[in-house]
Formats: sequence, structure tokens, C-alpha cells
Amino acid sequence: MSDATEEFFLELGRRGNEPLLRNATGTIRFDLHRGDGVERWVVAMKNGDVAVSRRQVHADCVVRMDRALFDQLVRGRANAMAAVLRGVLSPEGDLGLLVLFQRLFPAASRSAERTAKITKGAA
Amino acid sequence: MTDALVKILDGNTFVVSDARGDIEASLTDPTGLFSFDTRFLSKWVLTVNGQRLNALSTDDVQYFEARFFLVPGTGTVYVDAKLSVIRQRAVGDGFHEELTILNHDENPVALEIRLDAASDFADLFEVKDALKKKGKYYTRSENGHLLLGYERETLTRETSISATAPALVDERGLTFNVEIDPHGSWTTDLNVVTAVIGPGQERAHPKYDRRGRRARPNMQQSLDTWLGEAPRLETDRDDLKGTYRRSLVDLAALRFSPPVMQGRSLPAAGLPWFMTMFGRDSIFTSLQALPFTPELAATTLVALGNWQGVRLDDFRDEDPGRILHEMRYGEMTAFEERPHSPYYGNADATPLYVVLLDEYERWTGDTKLVSDLEGEARAALNWIDQYADLMGNGYVSYRRRNEETGLENQCWKDSWDSISYRDGSLPGFPRATAELQGYAYDAKRRGARLSRLVWKDEELADRLEKEAADLKRRFNRDFWVEDDRYFALALDADGSQVDALASNNGHLLWSGIVDKSKAKAVVRHLMGPRLFSGWGIRTMAEGEGRYNPIGYHVGTIWPFDNSFIAWGLRRYGFKEEAAVIAAGMFDAARFFDGRLPEAFAGYERSQTKYPVQYPTSCSPQAWSTGAPLLLLRTMLGLEPLDGHLVVDPFLPQGIRALALLDIPGRWGHVDAFARGRTETGEPVRL
Repeated sequence: MSDATEEFFLELGRRGNEPLLRNATGTIRFDLHRGDGVERWVVAMKNGDVAVSRRQVHADCVVRMDRALFDQLVRGRANAMAAVLRGVLSPEGDLGLLVLFQRLFPAASRSAERTAKITKGAA
Repeated sequence: MTDALVKILDGNTFVVSDARGDIEASLTDPTGLFSFDTRFLSKWVLTVNGQRLNALSTDDVQYFEARFFLVPGTGTVYVDAKLSVIRQRAVGDGFHEELTILNHDENPVALEIRLDAASDFADLFEVKDALKKKGKYYTRSENGHLLLGYERETLTRETSISATAPALVDERGLTFNVEIDPHGSWTTDLNVVTAVIGPGQERAHPKYDRRGRRARPNMQQSLDTWLGEAPRLETDRDDLKGTYRRSLVDLAALRFSPPVMQGRSLPAAGLPWFMTMFGRDSIFTSLQALPFTPELAATTLVALGNWQGVRLDDFRDEDPGRILHEMRYGEMTAFEERPHSPYYGNADATPLYVVLLDEYERWTGDTKLVSDLEGEARAALNWIDQYADLMGNGYVSYRRRNEETGLENQCWKDSWDSISYRDGSLPGFPRATAELQGYAYDAKRRGARLSRLVWKDEELADRLEKEAADLKRRFNRDFWVEDDRYFALALDADGSQVDALASNNGHLLWSGIVDKSKAKAVVRHLMGPRLFSGWGIRTMAEGEGRYNPIGYHVGTIWPFDNSFIAWGLRRYGFKEEAAVIAAGMFDAARFFDGRLPEAFAGYERSQTKYPVQYPTSCSPQAWSTGAPLLLLRTMLGLEPLDGHLVVDPFLPQGIRALALLDIPGRWGHVDAFARGRTETGEPVRL
């Protein structure tokens, strides 16, 4: 199975800029649990510029979940807000950063077909 | 005893009980302690020596506090009790109740005081639709606490109940065996704390101070400060002052601070069932309140902007750029049995978002926020053309993609029969309702202004203005019902006119999409006997196939609707007509203690003499609360212009003087004064 989580972060780091995050300023850390271990990803955001690292640093928002769930989020198979409400994704600190960050997760895959149909020509 | 329910709240935590303070909910009965769209207490019944109590009086001290004066007994006409029972309750992450019993007898008395407690942990949606729960319940009594719990997979909800006096705790409640001296008293504090717990999370700490004497509402700004910061109203009409104060107090109660906004608040839609973010309601209310409390608009813009749609998601009816319709936090949303995480199915909040952003800047001069939200505003403008034109005919229309749990009607008149032809038949989908085109037109015009002023993008501004002009030209051709000279309610999927005459014509004036040459004819309809009842303008004209004076969107009168219509009348120079609407609404408010309901019946004023309330579950409703505010603005003719506030008053008959002092804005604070007219139309000399 390809590693969606790692791909997601590495790709974000390569881009270095993400317009959807231009109102996000701060650092968000994802503590992804797998077995006994914790995989840590840190994204520092400022006016749309993003830097991805794996260092242990202070974060304005810390988000904990199973790594499998994060895989689902970046594949569009789970919804972040619903996951928070179910208690499987627990954010701490500046929740606004997570609200902005979740913009990067794709749509639930069940929408894919319909999506193709309704998108008209460019604006 | 009355049947009236007592409601107190703090943000989205609220308690609905009977006049005794008791809660005895069934799955369909809407009493209880609610928080984050979940019922945390469905039973809370006080007995003394096995007897229920009787309410002597109930006092809503503040919107987050209530006091119940009770006596034991059976509710006969004559009560001669030797005991008084006082329950004082305040909300804040659950509730705190101070229970006091006074013995009026010269002999000591031994009492068994019992509080029965239980919770069904129902989601608000389950209360509405009477659905069954899928998880497991548990109950524990530990360390003098009663713990009620509910678990479904990873989702846990708990209610913890404790008392300061020694209690016997069992799984169904708390018992106190006490002896009270002659003319003595006994008291205990009861703490009911709600908790939403995920794996590895700890129980939330109760927000009560150490001595447990008072709940602390989460709303940081006290009511006194809130009232103190609002402009002052002076007038010869005391009822206007009362209505104004009622609006400010209710608006304070309706403030909702979404968990991500760090204490900043926006107007929720209605109390108590709609204490959450709604795109449409929060925007309309923020617009109404702009001259009074501009910070509500700022929070609304930021919160809705943060949650703006970015992807195509059919379940949530989400599109890139779309502004949300409704956010919910309950179990059914958590397990995606309902799409409210958030749900995006509405066709008006997105253009209205740009309208609010521009109006906010005009009042406050806060170009920084306009600059911060440039991306959101551009995405909203883009949504209008790229995602909302479902029929490819250049008009905004709607059709839900979530056919199971999505909303069918995505305009403010969202009931099933609100959009109809004259003969009463209903169109299919998509539907392009008229007011949506007005909002889109206004959004483009205002977006162009912001683009020039703040984003410094001439090209975008030019394009938006061109598109707006084109939209206006087409709209005045395609929606105009030539034989009767008004705008159709909608275009159907064939592009034919859905031709019932409705109040939507008034919103069109507000948006400015109406050709000047057509305005007079539109106003004649609005103020004519088919639409105007004497109190206000009906949602649908008398004589239409579906007209019903007590039909939700097909004949009742909505104060919110009327306030925007009055604004529209002013925009086209119909000052006197706008004043007539304001007068009707303020007159109606007198019959509701200054609190305008969501809607009232469309009966002729001369027929009923008083406005007949339409029964709805929520009161106050945010945009009805905002209506008097907007009507004060239209009577005074307040309009920001080039950094100044223009005052161009026109008062209706019956108001001799009106002054609004300390109106906040980019000008600092200014005062606006108005004098009334005599019967002959001459200004009143005071």
C-alpha cells in the first residue's frame, strides 16, 4: 500500500506555498499513532508559506489520531470535522489552524462522479 | 401552574424545563439540558416526601439564570404550605442549581428530598425526528457523584451530577434526608456537568468557581457592558425604547462563540434550537446590527470564511467558495448520518457574504479584514458563476445533490410549498429564485468596489461591473411579469417564470437590481392591499393559488423580510413607504412585549386589530431580533458615504422625535436626530 500520509506531507513541503492557508499563521503538529510508536509531522504556516518538518517543536495546535485515520483523511475517505466529533481526532490549542488546514484534504470519494458532471467551464 | 417552558442558555448550552424547574423529556419532547446539540439530561425531577411541587412564580433573572419559587402540594386553588422551595439555576458547561428549602412551621420537619435524574443523550436531530439510539448507556455512582454515560464506538458523552450536601446516590438520582429546624432552612448546591470525551481525553472541568456558588457563563462580555456600548435611543415613544432594549438583550443572548473563534461571538439563528452557526441567518443578522454592534459582522465574516467550502462533496452539498448553511456538533453529524459537519446547501449565503464584507467596510473602514479575506471573497464571487449557475443560463439556481438528508429549498423561504406559480402548482428543480439574482448582482457591484479599494485589481472590478450590468439587464427582461408589472418569484428549469407575486420583490429593491423605471410599479404592489396587511408585507400576495395567511412562507408576515424591504424602499427613494413599514413593525412589537416573533399571520390589520403570532419553536429568532435595529436605520436614513455618516431621516406618523446617540463607525461616534411630521406632513416643532 502506498503511503498516502508521507506523500501528502512531502508534497506539501515541496510546494512550499499553499494559497488556501494564507490566513493561517502558526505551527500545527500531527502526532500520528501506530502501534506503540508516534509519527510526528510539523507544518509551520505563515501567509501561505508552509514548511514541513518532523522535529519536536512547540506547536500552536497539536492534533492526535491514529495514522490510519490520517491516511483516510488525505485519501478523501474520512471527514475531519466528523472525526473530531466522534472523538477519534483530538485537537488541542488553536483549533482555527486545524479548520484552515483541513481545507487541504480532498473530498469524500463518493462525490467524485458527481463532481465531474457539475463542473462547468472555467469562470 | 403555567404550561410555559422556561429556557435559559449560555452559548449552545441551554436548559428547557417546565415552570417548576423539572425536566421530564420523552424522545419527542424538547425539554432537557442540551449542549453541543446533545441532550445531557432528559429527567430532572424534584420531589419532597414523594410529592411533586407547585410553581408559585418563575423568574428569568437573566438569559442564563432562572429562579423557581415552589411549594409542595397538589395545585388546588388555595395553597397553605408550611414549606417553600427555591431553585436557582444558572447555565455554564452544564448547570448549577442552588436548592433551598425553608420551613415556615414552628415545629421541626423531617424531609426526604429526592432528585430523579436520567439522560437519553439524544441528538437534536433525533429529538426532531424521534429516532432510536445506536450506542450503549451506562450509569455509575462514584465518590458521591452520579455519572450518566453514553457510548457509541469512540464517541462518549457523560453527565456528572454532584451535591455539596451529603446525599445518598443511586443510579437513578440523589436523595437527601434532612431535618429542618423551626423557621430554619436547608440548602445544597447541585452541579450538573456535561462532558464530551474522546479516547485519551480527560473530562472537561466544570466552569464554576471554587465555592460552587455561581455558574460562570462562557460569554465574556457581560450584559451591562454590551448594553453600555450600544448606541442610545431617545424618543417620545416609550414602546420604541422598550423594543430597542429587548432587541439588544436578545441579541446578547443569541451570541454564539464557535469553539474555534477563541471567545469572539457571532449571532446564532434562534434560541434555543438554532444556537449554532448558520450562514444565512448570521449574515442577515450581522447586516441588521452593523450600525449598533459591528463586531458581530467581523466575527461572522472570519468564522464563515474559515469554513468556506473548498471541494466538491455531494453529501455536504459543498462546492469551492460556497459559504456554509449550518454547523452541528451532535452524534448523527459525528457518524455522518446527517451532513452538518458543516452542511453547505444554500444558494444565498455566498453572495450575501460579499455583501456583508462590503457593508462592513463601509461602516467601519476596516480594510485590513477586507484584505485578509480577499481569497474568501474572490472564491465566493467565483462560486456564483462557476458553481451556482446550474442551468447554464446565467442565473443562480439550486438543486440539492444530497437527496437523502440535504435541503430541498436553498433560499430563505425554505418550506416545501414556498415557491409556486400563480395557480399554486410547484416547479421542479433547479429553481432560480428572484432574490438570489439580486444578491448576486449586489455581490458583484460591491465586490468591484472592494477590488478597486483594497485588492487593487482593476481588471476584476471592471469584469464584475460588466457582469453585474449584464445580469441586471437580463434579469429585468426575463423575470418581469409584463401583464401585472412585478418580478416573478423564480425561473423554473425550462426558464419559464414561476409567476406568483411575493415579497421577494422587496429584496430586489434592497439589492438594487430593479430598473429605476420599474421601481414604482414594484412599490405599488408591495404597498398594495394584496401584499401589505397594515402591519407589514406578506410573504405571498393574497389571491395567489397557495396564499394562506397562516402559511409559513405563503402569506405570513416576517419582520426580518420587512426590515430588508424597508431598506430597499429607501434605496429607491421611497422614504414614506419605508416609514410605513417601520411603523407597522414597531406597532406590532408592542403586542409581543417588544420581541417580534419570527412570523405573524397575514390577516388584515383592520380584521384582527392585533398581530396573530405564528407558532414557532424558537424565540427570540436572530433576524427578527435584528429587524427593529435595521428599521431604526431606515427611519433615520443612516448611510455611510465617503467616510461620513449621512443622516436623512423620515419618520412615520406617530413618532415625534427619534435620536440615536453614539453610533459607532469609521467616523468615531456620531449622533443622528429626527423630527416627526404633523398630519399635514409638516415637521413637528418640539
